[in-house]
Amino acid sequence: KGINVSSPSSDPFATSPISLSDSDSEDDAIIDRIDEQEIYDLISSISDPEHPLSLGELAVVNLPDIDVRDAPTAPFSTVLVQITPTITHCSLATVIGLGVRVRLEQALPPRFRVDVRIKEGTHSTADQVNKQLNDKERVAAALENGTLMGVLNKMLETCR
Amino acid sequence: MTTVKISLLAPFNPPSLSRTWSSQPHHSLPLLATASSDKSVRVYSLTSFNLISTIEGGHKRSIRSIAWKPGTKGESVLATGSFDSSAGIWRRWDNDMVPRPERQEIEIGSGSNGEEEEEEEWRFAVVLDGHESEVKSVAWSAGGNFLATCSRDKSVWVWEEMEDDNFETIAVLQEHEGDVKCVVWHPEEELLASSSYDDTIRLYKEDIDDWTCISLLKGHNSTVWSIDFEPTSNPSLVATGNISSPVSTRFLEMRNAAGPRLVSTSDDLTIRIWSRVPRETDGALGEHGMIPSRIRTGSIEEEWTEEAQFPQAHTRAIYSVAWSKRTGRVVSAGGDGKIVVYEERWRSGDRTSTTPGNDHTPAKPENSQ
Repeated sequence: KGINVSSPSSDPFATSPISLSDSDSEDDAIIDRIDEQEIYDLISSISDPEHPLSLGELAVVNLPDIDVRDAPTAPFSTVLVQITPTITHCSLATVIGLGVRVRLEQALPPRFRVDVRIKEGTHSTADQVNKQLNDKERVAAALENGTLMGVLNKMLETCR
Repeated sequence: MTTVKISLLAPFNPPSLSRTWSSQPHHSLPLLATASSDKSVRVYSLTSFNLISTIEGGHKRSIRSIAWKPGTKGESVLATGSFDSSAGIWRRWDNDMVPRPERQEIEIGSGSNGEEEEEEEWRFAVVLDGHESEVKSVAWSAGGNFLATCSRDKSVWVWEEMEDDNFETIAVLQEHEGDVKCVVWHPEEELLASSSYDDTIRLYKEDIDDWTCISLLKGHNSTVWSIDFEPTSNPSLVATGNISSPVSTRFLEMRNAAGPRLVSTSDDLTIRIWSRVPRETDGALGEHGMIPSRIRTGSIEEEWTEEAQFPQAHTRAIYSVAWSKRTGRVVSAGGDGKIVVYEERWRSGDRTSTTPGNDHTPAKPENSQ
């Protein structure tokens, strides 16, 4: 029985030390694996903060722009979501990105590290937005902001 | 190459149920204080690993950082920095804090009772208001008379304790262009360092009653999350176990003239060592002692340069770093869940120039959850 049965060959963590050897653990690993479609399903139903449409309907989130590296035997798994703002100077890009991050961090098992970025060439201040979105301290502090949490909860209402 | 094996000694019991942002051991007692996003500080014993007290009620939002005031005797003093934009000072008499043997036995037998009465004895002494947004880091100067705080409002504040619980703002330093993530004091000089979201590190000193930025350290390509000064005891550690040679002797002279170095960790996945360019007139440079100063005498500005980068061991942002007083080793912690220990080694043989090699080798990457 091959130990990489559940890992695609492109998996960068496939060479990590693997301590699980009994078949139960491998079966669990196969069942628990999360793929791009599941990530898309988690975030495409988030509502846009200013349109009566979802991020999926607005093509802010798109299946080909989701990259999952999930190897349950590795130290951690990663999800990278690249979002496409509806306009290049969208002032709400940070809030949308934060909504995606919060949704994934709430829904995914703790082994996941989530990265949310603006898709290259789709926003005028992408670097600034990316830096804010991936600063865990700023994100944590933002989530203690009542006004912002009100906006985020409204966006996430349609996911439940 | 010898490696260091890190293994889990014991979990702290009971753990915080929400994110613990940082921890710091007491300077003389076997205690560890932790800052929690549940707005509490939890103090654990470093002998039994049990919770000794929980300090609550002073902050309205997450506590991000904590610092024990150094050099206190008979009383422990904690500074806290919170996302609620304030810093707090807390006090407690030490004789109440060291767990007595009989109490420990009671705790082992019956869980977590007997703590409530002790919790009362931490006194919230003073709240330091002034920052406009989240306070990210707090640090006491080596002598304990200054407290530095920094914030998302891009400023660094220096507070002086005039008398008990009376803190005066003596400087508001607004040099950074982004959140200030970390402040740390030099181990013997009144020299303050700060690191920022603007990718830089700044150093400050008092210049005739006025605190001013004396050096700007550029090199990192993203947020500089954490900085720490080298302990003053370290230069001799570098020589330990190495063959004495003219090159190593000269190197140690330079090292002593420059004083403690600074280590920094960043979102750019690098760990860098910075060292002060010694002033030629400082007199510790042997045969070069008589060469006129390159930096004009009287100027308070200092030149710091990047001396080395550690071999990369982390795959995600490196959030924290500390330099051991006892071993001279450096330890880092990252978003990849790794704790990595680095040791500085003399690179033997292949260097003949006056630039000595020092090889920063990761002793052994270890995973930690």
